Amino acid sequence: MNLIMLVYYVICAVLLGLCLWNFFREKKSRDDLVLYLLVMVPLVLRLLRWK
Amino acid sequence: MKREVLTKAGLAVLAAALIVAGGLPLLRHRRFDVPVVMGPGVARVERLSAYAPGVARTIADTNVFVLEGREPGGKAVLLANTHANEPEGLLAALVVVENAVVEKGTVYVIPTFNASGGRNTKPGDGYPLYFHLQTDWGTKTFRMGNRDASPLDQWPDPDVYIHYPDRQLLSYIDARNTNRTWPGRPNGLLMERVTYGAMELIRREAVDVAIDIHGAETMFPVTNCIVAPEKSMRIATLAALTVKAAEGFESHVEPSPVSFRGLSHREIGDHASALPFLLEAPTPFLDQPTGPKTEKLLLDGRDPFLLSLAKKKMLFVPYDESGWPLEKRVGQHLSLILEILRQFGKKNPERSIVLKDVPRYADLVRNGVGRYFHDPAAAPKGRVVME
Repeated sequence: MNLIMLVYYVICAVLLGLCLWNFFREKKSRDDLVLYLLVMVPLVLRLLRWK
Repeated sequence: MKREVLTKAGLAVLAAALIVAGGLPLLRHRRFDVPVVMGPGVARVERLSAYAPGVARTIADTNVFVLEGREPGGKAVLLANTHANEPEGLLAALVVVENAVVEKGTVYVIPTFNASGGRNTKPGDGYPLYFHLQTDWGTKTFRMGNRDASPLDQWPDPDVYIHYPDRQLLSYIDARNTNRTWPGRPNGLLMERVTYGAMELIRREAVDVAIDIHGAETMFPVTNCIVAPEKSMRIATLAALTVKAAEGFESHVEPSPVSFRGLSHREIGDHASALPFLLEAPTPFLDQPTGPKTEKLLLDGRDPFLLSLAKKKMLFVPYDESGWPLEKRVGQHLSLILEILRQFGKKNPERSIVLKDVPRYADLVRNGVGRYFHDPAAAPKGRVVME
């Protein structure tokens, strides 16, 4: 894995962390909760190296 | 508070279920290996990393089957699954590995040249993950791959792919296309390291003939043909004329463009002494205006939309209700490989490469492809390799 690819995985993890943070902090909107989860799906798949 | 936690937990479970249900089949596909029975001609199996250390311990490292003849002669290399969504190439290469006996010369076969692409798929096009062939001993399952390497293995894509060494600007996606990254370099992108490995094999082993086996859309003009640069043109023309006269199928000759860089039929010839050839068989599955991309379409090549287009004369190959079945495509490739090697041997008798026990077009059309695959469970110990 070269350095640029590694950095992209780190970016992916940071974005996932931000989504998780917002997911836990969200108190009112159920729509936003669903949106955070949907955004997380490809990030999780990439970090697990499934797709 | 309790209600909020329950809602979040419920949604998180749903998302996790979505990830597992959608992701696990893709993970299984990526890890699925196809057993290959080494035929009587296989002397040993090497790894591409022996020629390109840059692919060692990566998913791009792949098997190189070495078929050695009883007497020395010339050398040929067969490359398949350069585009892993064109399985006629893979199957033709595996039929050679499982059946061929080399009487003279040496043949290197790389059935899964883009190993990362062979474990990738194209969910947006609804590609099947696997296809199955009926054999005399049961069903054999193969992975259906994608044209390009997986972004899991080479990421991110550049905005524009700058070809090495010519610096021609190519589409960003071609950075993962092993028919645009020739001649490659030892420390470049992963796919450049793959093509560099094949170039090193060709140079170090003094390979005479390199054949890259593909499939192409029926609506694409470069289909049902042999693509050859100037130095290979004579042999390609003789092979095309001979199969037409002797075996009754057509495969015209297309000149390899000089100014389009990165393609095997151009760069192998320019960076080594080998004569390159690229074989294209018509593959209806690859066309855009078809019905669903099913396993059936992949195998029988029958599609009502293409039939309608054929009636409007919009295809570049003859097309009728019989479609363009897999056995015809694999058979064409095998006959063309044998004919190219024969024509090369006629011109260079001291460097000839003679294969026997490889079925030809008529055999494949009559018997199907599955007939030529052997049961891994019944193979002698140590003669099965996972591909």
